[in-house]
Amino acid sequence: MAEMQKIKLMSSDSAEITVHRDVAERSVLIKNMMEDIGEQAMTEAIPIPNVNEAVLNKVIEWCVHHKGDPPATNDDDADSRKKTTDIEEWDQKFMQVDQEMLFEIILAANYLDIKALLDVGCKTVANMIKGKSPEEIRKTFNIQNDFTPEEEDQIRRENEWAEDR
Amino acid sequence: MAKRSHEDQETDDRPAKRLRPSDPDRLSHLSDELLIRTLSYLSVSDLVLCQRLSHRLNSLAGDLQLWKALFYDRFVRPRASRIPGVRDQEQSPKSLYYSSKISKWLDDDHLVRRGSVTNWKRQYKLRHNWSRGSANVSETQLAEHPSQPPLLVRLHEDIVVTADPVAGLRAWVLKGIDRLIATTPFYRGKDDRSAGPTSLSIDGAQSRKDRVNISVGYDDGSFAIYTLQRNERRFACRYVHAPSRNGAIHAIAYASPYLLTMTGAPLLSLYRFGHEPEEIMSNLESSSGRRNNMGSIFTKEPKILVKNSHGDAQEDLGGSGVNKGEVDDDAMMRPPTLISSLRSQTAYPPISLAIRASSTSIVASIAYAMPTWTSGWSVGLQEIRITPDGTIIDSRVASAATRGALSPPSNPQLDRSVHNYSTTTLDQRVVTGVRMALGSKPTSLSYNHPYLLSAHPDNTLTLYMVTSNAEELSVGVGSRLWGHTSSVSGAQVGDRGKAVSVSARGNELRVWELEGGMSSSTSRKRAAAGEASVRVRPKRATSETKIENTSRADIGAVAGPRFMREQAFDDSTVTHGWVAFDEEKVVLLREKMLGTQALVVYDFE
Repeated sequence: MAEMQKIKLMSSDSAEITVHRDVAERSVLIKNMMEDIGEQAMTEAIPIPNVNEAVLNKVIEWCVHHKGDPPATNDDDADSRKKTTDIEEWDQKFMQVDQEMLFEIILAANYLDIKALLDVGCKTVANMIKGKSPEEIRKTFNIQNDFTPEEEDQIRRENEWAEDR
Repeated sequence: MAKRSHEDQETDDRPAKRLRPSDPDRLSHLSDELLIRTLSYLSVSDLVLCQRLSHRLNSLAGDLQLWKALFYDRFVRPRASRIPGVRDQEQSPKSLYYSSKISKWLDDDHLVRRGSVTNWKRQYKLRHNWSRGSANVSETQLAEHPSQPPLLVRLHEDIVVTADPVAGLRAWVLKGIDRLIATTPFYRGKDDRSAGPTSLSIDGAQSRKDRVNISVGYDDGSFAIYTLQRNERRFACRYVHAPSRNGAIHAIAYASPYLLTMTGAPLLSLYRFGHEPEEIMSNLESSSGRRNNMGSIFTKEPKILVKNSHGDAQEDLGGSGVNKGEVDDDAMMRPPTLISSLRSQTAYPPISLAIRASSTSIVASIAYAMPTWTSGWSVGLQEIRITPDGTIIDSRVASAATRGALSPPSNPQLDRSVHNYSTTTLDQRVVTGVRMALGSKPTSLSYNHPYLLSAHPDNTLTLYMVTSNAEELSVGVGSRLWGHTSSVSGAQVGDRGKAVSVSARGNELRVWELEGGMSSSTSRKRAAAGEASVRVRPKRATSETKIENTSRADIGAVAGPRFMREQAFDDSTVTHGWVAFDEEKVVLLREKMLGTQALVVYDFE
């Protein structure tokens, strides 16, 4: 019965998107809202003010694919997460987007409280950093180097012990 | 600000491979929380590169929680597989990730000090350098010539205390230029001969950081207590005990208020400072009945009980270096009470004295080498347990179990008879019966409960696990440790089974992780593969460090030239067996070509 229920979401750019309730409830934020506002949610669109239509569609695409996943555990202790950057194949393809979309997905996953999607996003970014030189990382993300050459060199020397393994 | 304009200008003409130049830095726009979450997926080597990107990433990639997780991932969880019991009790692998509970279990509490923030990155770096054997080496010359008796050294936090008949008692700090911080001559005896220090011990139970209590044993059988006033850069002599006819004090252990001495007689004596003598004496009386039942190789020696003769001794000895009229901390201490005195007949050097406190008792122990029938040299251990108020609970003895059948001292039933063998018979037995000795005579012994580690001239060490509880005292079967390529002259085992050993010649220094002993299959596998220890090497230039870190084969390839360089550098040095270490460094004493005594510090920070 619950599976058949559909709800409407309203993106920041006022687009209405209809989704199955169980798909939308991959988002802890939406799930909590549904519990709070109850039946009203079935008729009126739920505003998602921080996420635009394109990103929301992308997020929903992910939620549809992962709707059968076991629910996320409450254990959000950073130390207890498995520290692997392995990403399953479907998610890898899903994340093959431009940087703007990638970071929007991360922000949306964070806002909507979809832990598994947030992890996939963060892992994707981590994989873009891995194995690169600092200059390559700066180019990849357009990071401004606000160190003087002396400062940067000092940090390099302080960290020399850890550079290669 | 100059930086600002620099930034503005760069925004536009920065080349971009994957982005348009106008694209914003979306990574840096993430919140701290999201950035740290992202960084948490990076390895240590990538993380330190991120620190070089910008001020913000420098501070986020240095985040203490990130490094704490990395620390536990690399250094704490893997230990669980080596400690029998942890793995058995914690079935779920998830529970081996960091939690305060496991932190208690694995005894890493010392890293989380109350009221101060642990710098996890620094801790990680320390452990990383230890595991790689990578240290900065520095030397401090202590004496130009060897002395008789030889120079003694002890380490306490960042202070090294040395004692020799020429320069007296000296305290050094290990960092900075002005390293010698305090010095005091030893007293002169009646014949105006400066007392020769034969043993040295730093109080293992001190409470104040700016004061270090030190005990010194001399060749005339006397001993003294000094306090190093760190801030005032001087020593205060707190107590001098009269010379004794039991011979030089070969070993001394101090954990206030308890003092344990071993003389050449050989006589083992346990003293307690700061209690009313009458009270202790009555305790002694009441426990004497029990003492007769001790199955001990040390037998009571009532004649030599020296009763508080220090008052006169103080005058006789001239009291040089004594500070009068100081605050309480400097005041002369009242004479100690002799709690127990036992004569030994089978304790051969090397010996190791220790005092430790448990919840219900104080345990004074002596570990010693002992010859056996069939398996050459083994080790023995005796404990005197007393209650906190000074009453003797019992005295127990144990020796290492051996795999061989006919080795009397290894059989607890026969321990009692051992003290009947005279020294000569034992010596003969060693010569005739133990030709095929499995264990060569140890060059040094180190006991830090429950680890008892002996070093041997045959390039090996032996680790024994000691069990000491209310029911029994026993020493397990020794496990041989291979790794050194020449005679081992000294070894020290510390808390959690970390040990450092040093070879007699050259400069082979090895670090061992012996936690949990050799009882788990992981430990045995590591030992069999020669992976139980890492050789410590001085740090080299970055370009060379890079070569070292690839694979075993590559290390072999560069070992040649490095070996030659080391030989050229340090060929003539001799290490006399003293080595000590703490969380950050290893300190050892080396004798150079012309007899120069130098303190060598391997700093892992």
